[in-house]
Formats: sequence, C-alpha cells, structure tokens
Amino acid sequence: MSDKLYDVIAEVMNVPISQIKNESSAETLETWDSFRGLVLMDQLETTFNVKFTLDEVLHSKTVYEIKRNLRNHGILLD
Amino acid sequence: MDSESKLSYYIAKSESINHSMLEKKIKVAILSSFTLIGLAEVFCVKCADKKVSCVTYVSGYDQYNQDILNYESELYKFSPEISFLVLDTRSILKNLFYSPYSVSAAERKEYIDRRASELISIAKTFTRRSNSKLIITNFTVPTYSPYGIYETKTDYSLQDTIRDLNFKLNSGLLSEPSVYVYDFNAFVTKHGENNLFDYRQFLFGDIKVALNYIPYLAEDLMGYIKPVLGINRKCIVLDLDNTLWGGVVGEDGFEGIELGPKAPGSAFVEFQRHLLSLYQRGVILAVNSKNNPEDALKVLRDHPYMVLREENFASLRINWIDKISNMREIAEELNIGLDSIVYFDDDPINREIMAKALPEVLTVDLPKDPSLYTPRLVRLNDFNVLKITTEDAKRGEMYLQQRKRSELEKTVSNMEDFLSQLGIKIKIKKADQFTIPRIAQLILKTNQFNLTTHRYQEEDIRNFSHDKNMLVGCAQVEDKFGDNGITGAFIVRKDNPSEWTIDTFLLSCRVMGRGAEDAIMAFILNEAKAEGVTKIRGQYIPTNKNKPCEDFLPSYGFKSEGEYWVYSANMPTKIPHHLELLIE
Repeated sequence: MSDKLYDVIAEVMNVPISQIKNESSAETLETWDSFRGLVLMDQLETTFNVKFTLDEVLHSKTVYEIKRNLRNHGILLD
Repeated sequence: MDSESKLSYYIAKSESINHSMLEKKIKVAILSSFTLIGLAEVFCVKCADKKVSCVTYVSGYDQYNQDILNYESELYKFSPEISFLVLDTRSILKNLFYSPYSVSAAERKEYIDRRASELISIAKTFTRRSNSKLIITNFTVPTYSPYGIYETKTDYSLQDTIRDLNFKLNSGLLSEPSVYVYDFNAFVTKHGENNLFDYRQFLFGDIKVALNYIPYLAEDLMGYIKPVLGINRKCIVLDLDNTLWGGVVGEDGFEGIELGPKAPGSAFVEFQRHLLSLYQRGVILAVNSKNNPEDALKVLRDHPYMVLREENFASLRINWIDKISNMREIAEELNIGLDSIVYFDDDPINREIMAKALPEVLTVDLPKDPSLYTPRLVRLNDFNVLKITTEDAKRGEMYLQQRKRSELEKTVSNMEDFLSQLGIKIKIKKADQFTIPRIAQLILKTNQFNLTTHRYQEEDIRNFSHDKNMLVGCAQVEDKFGDNGITGAFIVRKDNPSEWTIDTFLLSCRVMGRGAEDAIMAFILNEAKAEGVTKIRGQYIPTNKNKPCEDFLPSYGFKSEGEYWVYSANMPTKIPHHLELLIE
C-alpha cells in the first residue's frame, strides 16, 4: 500500500518516487505548497476511498503524518 | 456520462507542455472572489490538446475589483483576449447569506439592486478599457434557508435575492457585445451542490469549487475559448445503422430497424431530435455510411419515426466506398475544413480508423448504449458561437439551395451560361449595428478566400467602423435560388489622401467562384478613385488554407511591389457582366 501512496505523492508533487521519504514534507519538497497539499489530499481520498477530516487535512504536512491519517481510516501500510 | 480527469492529472501535464510546438496562442485572465486554483493549469492542458498555447494571468485572492478599477494594474498590462470573472454567492451576500432575515425585504432588495449595478458597472468599465471578452459568472441559488419550508412563503426570500441578482445581471449586460454571463448556477445544478462544495476545502482555504470539479468548470468555460480562437466546429457527420437507428437496415429491413416511441427505438428518436435542434441553430449535418443507398434513403424519406429527413443533410455519402474518402469528399463538397467536422459512428473500429487517418476530424467516442448518445452529444461544447446570426439559422436552407445550384450547373454546358442564369446580385453594405456581428463572424472564421487572415474581434470592428480613416463593409450575395446572406467583408485603411491599403478582404466559401470578389473589389477601387486616391495596396499572406485566393490580386490587375500588390487608380475596374452590383 505504501507503493500506492508514494505513486500518488510522486505524481502530484511531480518528483521521482526515489525522492520521497518518510520525512518528506512541505519543507523538503519544493513543489509541495498548500495548493499541491490539497490536491494531494483529494487524490488520496479517491485512491484509497477515504474521507479525511478537516483536522487531518490540516495535519498532512509530512509523509509520516499522511501515513498516520491513512491508518486512522483503516488503510494498511507497510 | 463521460468523466473528467482528476485535477492532479492536469497539473502534472501542464508542466510538460512544449509551448513552442503549438500553432496558436491565447491570453486568458482569471479573476475571482475566492481561491480558484488549478483552473489556469486545466485551461493550458485543454488548449495544448488543441495545439493552442494558453498564457494565463490569475488575479490575486479577491483582488478583482482593484484589478479592474486600477488602470495601471497587472491585468491591463497582461492585455488578455478573454477574461473570466468567477464570483460566488457567499462573497456577494456577505452577512446576508447567513442572516437574510435580520433585515426587511425592502432592505434586501435595495442591497441586491446596489450589488447588481456595481457588477454591471465593473463589467462595463473593464470592457471599455480592454479589448478582452469578459465572461462573468452568475450566482448559485442557495439550497439552504434558515426559514426552511417557510422560505417559499417569504417575500423576497434569500433564494429570491439571488434569482433577482442573476436576472438583473443578465438583463443589464444583455446588450453589451463583449460581455457574456456564464450560468454558474446551472453548472452547480448539473453537478450537484453536495459534490461541488467541499466544506473542508472551503474552511481550509476559501475554495468554493471543489478541486475535483475544477476540470469540469474548465471544460464548460472552454466553450467560450474555442469560438474566440475560431476552433469551434460547424458540421456533424453521421453514420446510419446503429447510430441514427438501431439495427442494420440492409439485414433487418425497413420495418425491422429500431426507431420509434418505444425503447430502445426511442433512444434514437431522442438523439435525432437533439441533432435537429442543432441543425435549426446552424450546425450542418451530413451522412457518411456504408449502406445500399436505396435501403437507407427509403428510411430517410419514408420511415414514420425518422426525425431527420433527406433535406436536413447538406451532403449524403451512402455507398460502399471507404469512409475516409467519403469524409474528404464531404469536406470538399461543403467547402469546410476537416477540422470543422464532428463524426458520430457506433463502430469503434471505424472510429479508430477515422481518428488515425483524419486526426483533424473530432471523432466522438460514442458509448455502446444508445441511450447515452444524447448526453454525449449535448456535452460537446464545440459548436458554440459567440453570436447566433440570421445567417446561422438559414444555413440548412442555404445548403439545399446550393444543391439546386449544383444541379443547374450540371445541366448547362459552360460556366458563363451557368453564372448568367443564376442572376447574381451583390449588395454592398456599410458596417453598422446590424452587419457588424456577421462581419466579425466572417473575419474570425473564414480561411480559404481570405487575403490576409487578420482576425479581429467584434469590438475591433466596431472601433474600425467609427474611424474615418477606415472603410469597413460587407457584401450580401443573392441569386435566383435564394439569399446567401452576408458572405463577403472588407476592411480598408486610408493611410493618407492618396494611398489606401486593403487590410482585410474575404469571401465565404459559400459564394466562391461566382465573381463576387471582382464586384466587391470594384466597389473598393471606385470608392478610392472617388476620393482621389491614386494607389491602392493589397496583400496576400499565405496560410495553409488560403490557396484559393493566391492569384486573385494579380489576376485583377494588381502589380507586385515588394510584399504588396499595387493597383493604380488610372487602371479600369472590372465587374463581371453576369453580376449586378448594388450599393446601400
């Protein structure tokens, strides 16, 4: 499932998958601005068929946080 | 229904557009009362798909007023060709959105009156200062009211305020030639407010159209961009079996095909009714089908449930020849480009062959289920025009007349006899409020007999027509079979008292080859002579479509001089004797 997550992040942020790490964030990826962040949330909701809460949307600034939010919705990640 | 790609797809793709490979260019401004992100990227991708390079200016968050009112703003420096002003109900109503009944009905009405006149005035200010078309959105009627079921028992209710605002906006801008109101409320109705409005995105970033729906909004708004670029389409070419009716007439027989009030035949009736409505609006219909002509024509002529009849089709190619050749012949016969054609065929293999061989033709990916033909058709926004003129409504009739002319042409032995039997009359008309919309239409879409292919918008033509150093006019062509309407246009620049330059000279393909161009040129030259002009310059700027008028200037007697062709006033003008020239 992590592969799928990384695929989506790579597509939305327009960076190679190899650049994406657990610690990747709006700080470390140049293309990750608030707009892309929202597009990413949107794309993840479709891909994993979940609906994030406003609080989760606000706290999705790193790959680590996104993984935690996905786990909250019962998505199994390795 | 066909669905749009996700916004993330467009954003990724927008970064890899190679603008230098694109043929045309358009400048688009986006102004909004809320965070409207992604729209510019989708426009760029959708335009690039049509070989158009789209450059955008996106106004700052809720900065539209300042941008329009300040003459020095970046907006005017950008000088857009088309601008979208996207507004929303919450921003316009402010606190009234939440507490509509904290004030009286009279106060609500006064508030709306004020907002409406502000918006109308801002739209007018913008179009006076800019040559851009302005598309302003109307407002979503709220679906929620604190009054609940009592809402519709209330005088000038919350919902009425928006309905009234929409009405006032529309009527206040109806006669503004370069302002269009986009029915955003209808867009919301079509997709549903619950889908379109995402509270999280709204609360997080004042986003009032959910990101997922930005591509749909962009697709709707492309309906304005296409006609501004002249990349809209004019003609629908149809297959017959399983497209206009169910089944194969050669096998199932006249009585066996599915077409009538009961399902599944009703799907085809519904589809035909929508095609007829487009025909009545000026879209040309034609048939490209592999059938025995007798079988198919019998259905077109005699089937009790056919909506479209033989006379609705400008061209019929019913034979066993390959569809590619037929398609080329249809384009040639109707004198339109392949890029003006939309093709409907139920057979995926035929579609694939067509799309490969003639990529200029828009081959519609028709769903398997005939009940989905109609929604697929009505979703196409390729037939949009910025103005529907009387010429458009008469187009179908004109093609019938054209067929009769061709028949006459076949019966007479030479061209001269044919032309003199037609009894052609050319009426030269000035550019005025009645003719300017049609002149602009011709200038934007005429490709073949067009000496310079300068494209001007309606506002430009209006300005030229008021300029005493310009001569702008048009020609109406009639003959014994009917009126072709305004089918020629010209713009001449009076450079100085002794020299004029023909900036634009064009003739619709509808009347090519009948000497009308000579008569129109004679009119211009005679006007020039009457004003004491000694030298008239013309120019031929080659494009990949205007070969038909390449020899016009030299054959009329213009002499080559650098990049121009020059006519001296001491030379005679010529009007073919089969024509009658009238000046209004």
